[in-house]
Amino acid sequence: MSAAATETVTPLEPPSGSLLHRVAWHWRHNPKRELWFAWWSMVVFYQVFGLVFFVLTRTQPPPKPWWEVPRVVQWFNDNHHGLLIGFGIMFLVTGMTAPCNALIAYSMRRMSVSRSFAYSYLLLYSLSAIPGMLLMCIALTVGAMRPDRDPELISWLYDFAFLSFVGTMGVFLIGSLVWMVAILIDKNRVFPKWFAYLNLCNALTEVVVSPAWIFKSGVFAWDGVIAWWINMVVFVVYTGVFIYLLRGMILREDFGSGPLPDLAPNEEPDPSGLARAAQ
Amino acid sequence: MAEDTDKPAEFVPGQPDMWAFVLFEGLLFTSYFVVYMFFRTQSPDLYLQSQAQLDLRIGVFNTLVLLMSSWSVARCVQASRDGAFRSALTNAFLTMLFGFVFLVSKVLEWAREMQMGLGFSTNEFFSHYFFLTGIHFLHLLIGFVVLGVIVYQLWSPARRSQELVETGATYWHTVDFLWVIIFSLLYVVR
Repeated sequence: MSAAATETVTPLEPPSGSLLHRVAWHWRHNPKRELWFAWWSMVVFYQVFGLVFFVLTRTQPPPKPWWEVPRVVQWFNDNHHGLLIGFGIMFLVTGMTAPCNALIAYSMRRMSVSRSFAYSYLLLYSLSAIPGMLLMCIALTVGAMRPDRDPELISWLYDFAFLSFVGTMGVFLIGSLVWMVAILIDKNRVFPKWFAYLNLCNALTEVVVSPAWIFKSGVFAWDGVIAWWINMVVFVVYTGVFIYLLRGMILREDFGSGPLPDLAPNEEPDPSGLARAAQ
Repeated sequence: MAEDTDKPAEFVPGQPDMWAFVLFEGLLFTSYFVVYMFFRTQSPDLYLQSQAQLDLRIGVFNTLVLLMSSWSVARCVQASRDGAFRSALTNAFLTMLFGFVFLVSKVLEWAREMQMGLGFSTNEFFSHYFFLTGIHFLHLLIGFVVLGVIVYQLWSPARRSQELVETGATYWHTVDFLWVIIFSLLYVVR
């Protein structure tokens, strides 16, 4: 596109009016609508994730790994409705992880790095929902739906669910490292370099959960201070940071292939830039 | 040059972003140390008896080796700043050598302890011991990748980014610094 052509583009001005009207306008005209859709999916998904795991199903913070069989069966009975309602919601919203992962992969496509980074990440994180969430949801739903089964089997499901959820972080670890390397060698300034190092920090905490397979109590068990609590703090900070940085990336996105332009504090995207991008 | 030395330092060595990593890791390891110290106060006798089974001489040797590696990586940075890239490269390789000696020494120490029947799940002290030394070992392995980046930068006149050399050295010093605290807590503090 020539410079002369770009100058003749009429800026697209978002309308002022009711919220509904503005949302409808952005839905039809904003060239970043898919990116914003993915970003809002991410925000909503993590809110729902927190609500389901921490409030409805009470699976986080995790119950005790050392409980005997009768106590485990009682836990299933106590949380019967919460497990069914909570994981029912999770099964409904699991698909929202697709736009979340796509947005992160998009961030790597926007970098000056090989496409293989984005593809590797997408592949890894497509798998990650299985050990990172779905195995637990399925195992505990089975336990809640079949309370008449042998208590030993119910106890086995309990171990399977929490060990698969807390103890399997390999895909997340490699995914974080892929993102880290992409950020470090990127020349388009999509993310600050310190976020690459935060990825490394997050990846290293994923290693720390592995002792949960060995210990049934103490700081390294699946509910332990080191294996769970400290890791959860790092994970929450890491997730909050990348959601914030992805928002910044979308605001700065110019749909070019060079370095992302800076955004001044409190600056809104240039409407004429939106118009050019929409061409 | 005289004017330069009189000027107060207005920068941190390397990428400021690496110092954010130093902060993240510092906070993370502080939390591990606090957990260790807390549980130590709960069963001081167990920790003291277990600690006595560690060989302080190997711990001192490992600490000295890592301090030497920090010294050589500092010399590497200084040589690179002065444009003495051959000397910088030599010091980078020397750092690798010291790091490798530490790794071998640590593996031999673990093997000796395992032969004595001491493992990750022997008791609470040894859980912390193997965890802290293990996670530090992992940081050191990453340090070899970082040293590789330093060597890669120094190798060709087309590259030689002083910022990256200093960034890598900052990482190496951090890993060394963490070891000094781990050594103090596990081997020395009674």
